[in-house]
Amino acid sequence: MSIEAQNLNVYIKDNHILKDVNIRLPEKQITCIIGPSGCGKSTLLRTFNRLIDSTEGVKIEGKVLVDGQDIIHSGAEITELRRKIGLVSQRPCPLPMSIFGNVAYGCRINRMFKKRKQLIYHVQKNLRDVGLLDEIKGRMHTPAARLSIGQQQRLCLARSLAVQPEYILADEATSALDPISSKTVEDLFVSLKERYTIIMVTHTLRQALRIADNVVFMYLGQVIEAGPAQQVFNHPQEELTQKYLAGAFS
Amino acid sequence: MNIAHKKKLKESVAKLFMWTAILIFFGIVASVLWTIFSKGCKAMSWDMVTQLPGGGFYIGKEGGFLNAIVGSLYIVGASTLLGLLISIPVVFFLNVYLKKHSKLAYVSRLAFDVLFGVPSIVYGAFGFTIMIYFGLRASLLGGIIVITLLIIPIFIRTMDEATRNFPRDILEASFALGATRWETLKVVLRQIAPGIATATLLSIGRAIGDAASVMFTAGYTDSIPTSLSQPAATLPLAVFFQLSSPIPEVVDRAYAAALVLTIIVLILSITGRFITNKFSKNKV
Amino acid sequence: MQKLRIIKDRVAQGTMFSLTILSILLVAIIAIGLYLKSAPVLDDKSLWTLLFSSEWRPMKGEFGFLPFIMGTIWVTILAILFSLPISLLTAVYLTEYSKPIVRKFVFPALDILAALPSVVYGVWGVLVIVPWISQHLAPLFVDFSTGYTALAAGIVLGVMVIPLMVSLFVEVFTTVPVELRQASLALGATRWQTAIRVVFRKTLPGIIASVVLAVSRAMGETIAVLMVCGCVIHIPESVLDACYPIPALIANNYGEMLSMPFYESALMFAALILFVVVLIFNLLSRIILYRLEKTEK
Repeated sequence: MSIEAQNLNVYIKDNHILKDVNIRLPEKQITCIIGPSGCGKSTLLRTFNRLIDSTEGVKIEGKVLVDGQDIIHSGAEITELRRKIGLVSQRPCPLPMSIFGNVAYGCRINRMFKKRKQLIYHVQKNLRDVGLLDEIKGRMHTPAARLSIGQQQRLCLARSLAVQPEYILADEATSALDPISSKTVEDLFVSLKERYTIIMVTHTLRQALRIADNVVFMYLGQVIEAGPAQQVFNHPQEELTQKYLAGAFS
Repeated sequence: MNIAHKKKLKESVAKLFMWTAILIFFGIVASVLWTIFSKGCKAMSWDMVTQLPGGGFYIGKEGGFLNAIVGSLYIVGASTLLGLLISIPVVFFLNVYLKKHSKLAYVSRLAFDVLFGVPSIVYGAFGFTIMIYFGLRASLLGGIIVITLLIIPIFIRTMDEATRNFPRDILEASFALGATRWETLKVVLRQIAPGIATATLLSIGRAIGDAASVMFTAGYTDSIPTSLSQPAATLPLAVFFQLSSPIPEVVDRAYAAALVLTIIVLILSITGRFITNKFSKNKV
Repeated sequence: MQKLRIIKDRVAQGTMFSLTILSILLVAIIAIGLYLKSAPVLDDKSLWTLLFSSEWRPMKGEFGFLPFIMGTIWVTILAILFSLPISLLTAVYLTEYSKPIVRKFVFPALDILAALPSVVYGVWGVLVIVPWISQHLAPLFVDFSTGYTALAAGIVLGVMVIPLMVSLFVEVFTTVPVELRQASLALGATRWQTAIRVVFRKTLPGIIASVVLAVSRAMGETIAVLMVCGCVIHIPESVLDACYPIPALIANNYGEMLSMPFYESALMFAALILFVVVLIFNLLSRIILYRLEKTEK
């Protein structure tokens, strides 16, 4: 049960975005992908659930193995793959429906429940897991867009969790939030790692320091260094990593 | 797994429908063009476009529809010029003199969009009333006035769209140099020239093809008008009147006239797209 | 010198302002002009009789517009029934699936379809649709049909509004942010599910507004409809009946009406009905579309 990239190369139009990426992301842990902006972090993340497909002129070479299955070339069922891999994006993006509708959306799409009662129970459970249930009492069926940004982001997390994924991809999931909401969401991720494999792209080193079990450092489309957080942060092997950690470039 | 299959099946069915829709769409385009070209080419001859209707033209004797071609060109040429003269100041006023979120600009855009939606038969009927009021008969002048009214909204809205994307910095740069807004017009004009060109082509296309509005206002005649007060024939009406004739030779002329009209409009449309493409390439 | 420049600017501003106001006023001028012209018949008959009577005897001074109004409604509904599915599916494919190669062919084809004059569609209708209906379709249902029917007019009109509808739909759908689509896709939704459940839901007002715009375009179309509709004054009972929409009525009779009292006025009233309905439809849908555009910027 893991995600693994082998000799992965991604081109968008004529740009070589990811260069020969070889990594294996351990399960039930938080892996933080760090690096200066434009280094290909987000592209890597979006290759894992093949959301990259909707970009125009994209070309993928190499393999990405999810649970041992190559998702790039094997003609894998893409919607099933995406169900298995949740995504929390940078800006919270509530769908144009109620709070309940947002969480229920994935379940309905995937026909997870036959009875409405089960669906309601499931939605409540997931809202409780992200600490929203009490905050929105009685507002279940109001438009999700009326929530605060921080609440919206937790709603998006609940929405991802509701389809029972095994992995969660988070693309700078806290960068658009205020410090308090940011802390809440961060704590949520820590509490979720017992059950899910979490891969986070972050541009704040402090966040990675606080919550990462593993760290992948990328620079200009290449993975420079990867390993357990303590090792990478305390004893970086590569000169580039040392420079980045020292704040030489951001 | 079962659900994933169902989803996939649904997706395939949806795709099938969409492909069918697109195929029908292309089928229609092909059918229209094929009909016009195959019928028109058979009926076409050099005389059709170089001769005026001769004696007995409407019972199948010789002649062509040069009168309609020239009439259409007169009307379209004059109203395009008039339309440009009126529209450019309005577009300029909307985009340079008025603030971005001004009420007047909002109302004007709404008004022009509404005018754009007014059916040409209403323009025709309205224009005819006005003409009677001023004691005019169906004439070249009447046709020009009504077609000008018809294409002004198209002119303005198309140019306005092109100008709205125009970077305001350039305006500010010009103002900063102490230029008045009137003087800035030249800067703006140069920038939106491709927009004006596409708008003009679009308007010409609409103007040359519209029949309902010129039906009463321009009238119909077998000769080329020599003054503004004489009636003028137009291509769409040449098609319309001759198509209902019981004599095959006359109907053939309708096909030929339709072909001429279609070719003109196609050339305009293709040129327009070419300019837009080239323009958007240069922009970024 | 300096003064002259400023005066020039002022004069220019004044001219432009009045030109703009004048163009806006054109809407009102048309409305007033048509109203004044139709006043005689409005004074003579009640609005109710004019709109809901089906007695049309200009010689006797009876003007019931119901057959023409019904003709317009029939033709418009048929046109929308025909064009809506095609336009909607095409637009969804263009925006949600966006294969560059398809776009490369569809957009120029849309341009061509949009550019062709009404009279050319009329010729096409007379040569292709009318014979097809009279020879292949109608014999399945009725004994005899000339082919000049409401259905023929509906199909021709439908084809004519397809380019308008597709381009409006594409514009409306592209106001939906990419992130919203990705959020849905990331949950395992297919593109079709995303289109139906997210894009349609988000843009429903825009979709409706676009359809209303297409309706008002279809209602006012004259020459093409006139050429294929059959022009029989009665209330159509089936799609295979001939019909006589309002624009066709005006176009057919305008030249020769001066000899009869009230006739000109009645035809002007027809133009006024058309104008008012189109005006209302246009205003409503444009305002909705403006709002949609604004929220996305």
